[in-house]
Amino acid sequence: MLELLWLIPILPFIGFLVLVLIGTRLSRAGVAAIGVGSIGISAVVSLLCGFSFMSSPPPGDAFSQTLWTWMKVGSFAPGITFHLDALSLLMTLVVTVVGFLIHLYSTEYMNDEDGYSRFFAYMNLFVGSMLTLILADNLILLYLGWEGVGLCSYLLIGFWYKDPANGLAARKAFTITRVGDTAMALGLFLLFAHLRTLNIHGDGGILALAMSQWMEGSGLAIAAAALLLGGALGKSGQLPLQTWLPDAMAGPTPVSALIHAATMVTAGVYLIARTYVLFELAPAVQFAVALIGTITLFVAGCSALTQRDMKRILAYSTISQIGYMFLALGVGAWSAAMFHFMTHAFFKALLFLGAGVVILALHHEQDIFNMGGLRRALPLTSKTFIIGAAALAGFPFITAGFYSKDLILWKVWSAHQPWLYIVGLGGALLTALYSFRLVFIAFFGEAKSHVVKKPGACMKIPLTILAALAIIGGLIELPHAWGNWQPFSKFMESAFPLTASVEHGGHGKAAAELILQGIAVVVSVVGISLAYLFFLRKQIFVEGVAGSSVGVAVHRFWFAGWGFDWLYDKVFVQPVVWAARINKNDIIDFIYRLFAGIIQIFHFIFCLTQTGRVRWYAVGIAFGAVVIVAMVVLS
Amino acid sequence: MTTTDLLAITPLIILSAASVVLLLVTAFYRNHKVIAVLALMGIALAFASLPMVSSEVSLPFTVTQLIILDGYALLYMGLLFAVSFVVILIAHGYLEKRQGNHEEFYILVLLATLGCAVLVASSHFASLFLGLEILSVSLYVLIAYLYTDERSIEAGLKYLVLAAVSSAFLLFGMALVYAELGTMEFTQMASHANAGNHSMLLLAGMGLMVVGIGFKLAVVPFHLWTPDVYEGAPAPVTAFVATASKGAVVALLMRYFATADSYAHSSLFQVFTVIAIASMFAGNLMALLQNNVKRILAYSSIAHLGYVLVAFIAFRADEMMAVTAVTFYLVAYSVTTLGAFGIITVLSPGDREADAIDDYRGLAWHRPWLAGIFTAVLLSLAGIPLTAGFVGKFYVVAAGVGSALWLLLVLLVVNSTIGLYYYLRIVVAMYRTPEDKAGEAATGLTAAESPTTPASLPLIGGVVLAGLTLLIVWLGVYPATLMRVIKVAVDTLV
Repeated sequence: MLELLWLIPILPFIGFLVLVLIGTRLSRAGVAAIGVGSIGISAVVSLLCGFSFMSSPPPGDAFSQTLWTWMKVGSFAPGITFHLDALSLLMTLVVTVVGFLIHLYSTEYMNDEDGYSRFFAYMNLFVGSMLTLILADNLILLYLGWEGVGLCSYLLIGFWYKDPANGLAARKAFTITRVGDTAMALGLFLLFAHLRTLNIHGDGGILALAMSQWMEGSGLAIAAAALLLGGALGKSGQLPLQTWLPDAMAGPTPVSALIHAATMVTAGVYLIARTYVLFELAPAVQFAVALIGTITLFVAGCSALTQRDMKRILAYSTISQIGYMFLALGVGAWSAAMFHFMTHAFFKALLFLGAGVVILALHHEQDIFNMGGLRRALPLTSKTFIIGAAALAGFPFITAGFYSKDLILWKVWSAHQPWLYIVGLGGALLTALYSFRLVFIAFFGEAKSHVVKKPGACMKIPLTILAALAIIGGLIELPHAWGNWQPFSKFMESAFPLTASVEHGGHGKAAAELILQGIAVVVSVVGISLAYLFFLRKQIFVEGVAGSSVGVAVHRFWFAGWGFDWLYDKVFVQPVVWAARINKNDIIDFIYRLFAGIIQIFHFIFCLTQTGRVRWYAVGIAFGAVVIVAMVVLS
Repeated sequence: MTTTDLLAITPLIILSAASVVLLLVTAFYRNHKVIAVLALMGIALAFASLPMVSSEVSLPFTVTQLIILDGYALLYMGLLFAVSFVVILIAHGYLEKRQGNHEEFYILVLLATLGCAVLVASSHFASLFLGLEILSVSLYVLIAYLYTDERSIEAGLKYLVLAAVSSAFLLFGMALVYAELGTMEFTQMASHANAGNHSMLLLAGMGLMVVGIGFKLAVVPFHLWTPDVYEGAPAPVTAFVATASKGAVVALLMRYFATADSYAHSSLFQVFTVIAIASMFAGNLMALLQNNVKRILAYSSIAHLGYVLVAFIAFRADEMMAVTAVTFYLVAYSVTTLGAFGIITVLSPGDREADAIDDYRGLAWHRPWLAGIFTAVLLSLAGIPLTAGFVGKFYVVAAGVGSALWLLLVLLVVNSTIGLYYYLRIVVAMYRTPEDKAGEAATGLTAAESPTTPASLPLIGGVVLAGLTLLIVWLGVYPATLMRVIKVAVDTLV
C-alpha cells in the first residue's frame, strides 16, 4: 500500500496541469470534478497509506520512496524522494482531508466568481506543493515545496487582482515571507557547507550528522537553527514577520481557510519539528522559539480582541495559535505542537468556512458590528461556528482545542518555564474572550443585516465534518492524569528518535497536572463568561473602557497590530524608497554610459574613413602596404 | 598527365565542364529553371566526386607542381561546393523576381567556385594567382549583375579597381619572393625558411603578398571596399563573397604558411596581430549604429575575420589546434552568414533589397518563423551558446589560450561584447510591436501589405533557411561530429 505514496503529491499536480491547460474550455462542473477529485483521490490514498503505516509499521517507523535522482554533482545527489513517518503522515492526512473539504466547499463558494478554473488550478498547485514540502526527504525538495506554497499563497491572495489593494496584499505577503526564506536558504547553504548533504533522515542525513559532529550549543548549530528559524517565522507569521498574515485575508475565504490557517502557515512549525535535532543542539535558539511563540500569542491575541473585520480576527487568532505551537516546540514538546497543529487545522478551517458562509450570506459584509442575530438565519452555520469558537477558546472537556492547548501548557509548566506558562495562560484567557466576542456580536443579539444567501450542501457537509472533528479530534490524546491513553504522543514519538530527553509529561505529578488543568478550565470558562458579560449583556462597560483616553490609545495600538506596519514602513520601506528616489539615475550606470559614449565616439571616428571614394580606398591599400612592408623589413 | 592525375582533379574538371555545358545550353535554349537545375547538378556532381577522389587516389597527391589534393583540400572543396549549392538555391527565387537575363549568373557562380577550388588546392604561386583571378573576374560581373541598379554597378566597379590594385601588390610580392628564392613552389620555400633566410627582399615580398590576401579577406586596412560592395551586390552574391571567397583565401593562407613554413618569419605574425586587432575594432565599431543590415553584416564580417586571424596567429604554437579552430569557425560562419543573407534574399522584393533595419521592424509579429530563424542567425553571429557561432568562437579562444595570446583574447572578448549590441539591435527591431512604426501605419499600409514583405515565403528559400537553422543549432549542440571530420582532414596538412 505504501508503494502508492508518490500518488499523493502527484495527483494534485496532475489536476493543476489539466486545469491550466484545458480548464477554460471545461464546464464549471468539469472544473470542480477535476479540482476536487484530484484532492479527493489523494486524500483516499493518504488514508490508505496511513492505515497501512499504522497497522503494519515499516522498519524504522519510516518509509522512503525514491522516484528519480534530481541531479548528480559529485557527492551531491538530491533525489526526488518522499519520506513517510509519523510526522509527515499526520501532516499529509490533515492537508489532504481538510484540503479536500475546503475544495468541496469552494465549489459552491466560488460559483459566482470569474476565474473558476484558475482558482482550482492554483488550489491544486498549492496542495501539490504543500505535500511536496511535507513528504520531501531532503531539504532541497522541501525548499521547492516551500517556495511553491509561497507562490500559490501570492497568487491566491491576489486572486481578485482587479482590486489593486489585493495585489498589494499579495506582494506584501510575498516580500515579507521572502525575508524569512532568504534566511532559510542561507541556513541550507550553511548546512550543506558543513555537513555536505541536505538529506534529512538516515545515518547520512543532517540530523544524524549534526548529532554526531556538532557540540550542543556550538556556534554552527546555533547559526543553522537560527537561520532555519528565520524561515519558519516568515512562513508561519510569527513575530517579527507576522505583518503579512492579516492582510493576506484579501484572498477568497477558502484560501484563508486552507492556506492561511490550516496548512501553509504551519509549515514553519513543521520545519522546526522536522529539523528538531538542530534546535536541541542549540538550546538558546530553542528558547528563542518558545519566547517568540509566547510573545506572538499574546500580542496577536490582543490585536484580535480589537478587530472589527471577521476574517482579520481569525487571522490574528491564527497567528496567536501558531504562537502556541512555537511555544510547544520551544520547550521540546514536539508531539504537543503537532497535536495542536492538528486540532487547530480542524477548528480554524471550520471557523473560516463558517465566516465564509456569513460573508457570502451578507453579500461580502465582513464587519462584525454590522452583523448580529445570525443564529436564527443560519442555524447550522451558527452551531458549527460556535463549536469551532469553543474549540478555539479551549472549552473544557468536550472540545479538541482544550486537550491540545492543555497539553502544551502542561508541557511548558513541566519544562520549568513558569513565566511562559503564565503568559500562555493569559493568552488562553484572551483567546476565549475574543473568540466569543466574535460569536456573541455576530451571531447573537439584534439582526442588523439581511441574509441573502443560504449555504447549500457543498458548504454544509464540510462544516459538519469539521465540527465533528473539532470535537472528537482531541480524544486521541488524553492527559496523563486521566489514565494511560496517549496513542497520539506514542505514535508521534516514533518520528523523533533522536530526542535527547524523552519527557513523558511528568509521571507521578498527576496532582500538579490536575491542578493546572483546573486552572485552564477556569480561565477558559471565565473568558467566555466575560465575553458574554461584556459583549452581549453590558456593552456599556466595554464602551466605557474603550472610550477613555487610555482605552482609545490602547485600542488603536492593538487594532493596528501593535504598530508593526508603521514601524516597518518607517524603518525599512521609506528609507529604501528614499534611496531609490535619490539614486533614480543609477550612479553605477554612469560608468557604463561612459563606456558606451566612448565607444560611440570611436564609431563616428572610424566611420569617417568610409567615404565611398575609390581613390581613398586605394590610398588605404597603399598605406597598408607601406606599413606592412615597413613593419616586416624594419623589425 | 596520367589518368590518375585526371582522376585526382575530377572535381575541377566537372566544374569546368559544367560551366561549358551551361554556356552552350544558354546559347541555344534560355530557360531560367533548366539552367539553375543544371548548375545545381554540376555542383552536386562535383561534390559527389570528392569521396570518389579520396578513395581512388592515394592522398596527398600532387598533380604537376601546381595542384595538390589532400584531405584538407577536399574538405574545403566540400564546404565551397555546399556554399555554392545554397547560393544557387536562394539566388533562383531572388532572380526570378527581377528583370533581365538570369542564366549567365549560374555560369559565373560555377566559375567563381572553380576559382575557389583551385585556390584551396594550389601548391604553387602560378595556380594561386590563376585561382584568385578566376574567382575575381567572375565576382566583378556577379557583383554588377543587376546592371540596371546604380549601386550594383558602382559596387562592381569599385571591386574591379581595388581588386586589380591588390592583385598587382600580390603579383609584385610573388615576384620578389621568386627573385630571392628562385622557386614558386610552397614545399621548396620551406627549406629556405627553415634555413633562416630572413632577407629583406623575401620579407618585403611576403608583406606585399599579405596586401593581396588581406584585400580578399577584407581586413583592416584593406577593408574599405567591403560595406559598399556588400550593400551594392545582389544579396546572393554578397553571401558568396562573404563565405566562399573568404573561406578559400583563408584556406590558401593556412596552406601557404603550413607548407612553406613561413611561420618561421616572426615579423609576419606581428603584422597579423596588428591586422587582427584593428579588424576586430574597426568592424565592430563601425557596425555599431549602422542602419543598413547588409552594411552591418559587412562590418561584422571584418570583425569575424579578425577573430579568425586570432586563431590563425596561434598557428606558431600549435598548428593542429589553430587549423582546426579556423576551419570550424569558417564552417560555422559560412552556415550562419548564408542564413543571414538567405533571410535578406527571401525578404527582398523585386525592385530593391530588404536591407534597411526598418524592414525588419515587427517581423516577429507577422512572420514569426522567419524572425525566429533570423534571431538564431544573429545570436550565432554574436556567439551565444547553443549556436554554431559560440562553438566556433570557443575553439578560437581555446586555440588562443593554447598559445597564450592574452592581449588578443582580451580584445576578442571586449569586441564580442561590443558586437552584441548591433546584433541585438536587429533582434530588438524584429520583436518591436508593429505599432511602433506609427508614422508608416498612418499611410494606410499594414505590415502584411507593405511592399517590403512579400506575401508568401518561396518554398525553396524556406526549406534552405530551415535547414541552415537546424545546422546552426546542431553544430552548436553537437560539434563533435564535424570536429572529428575536420581533425581527420586537417591531419594531412600539418
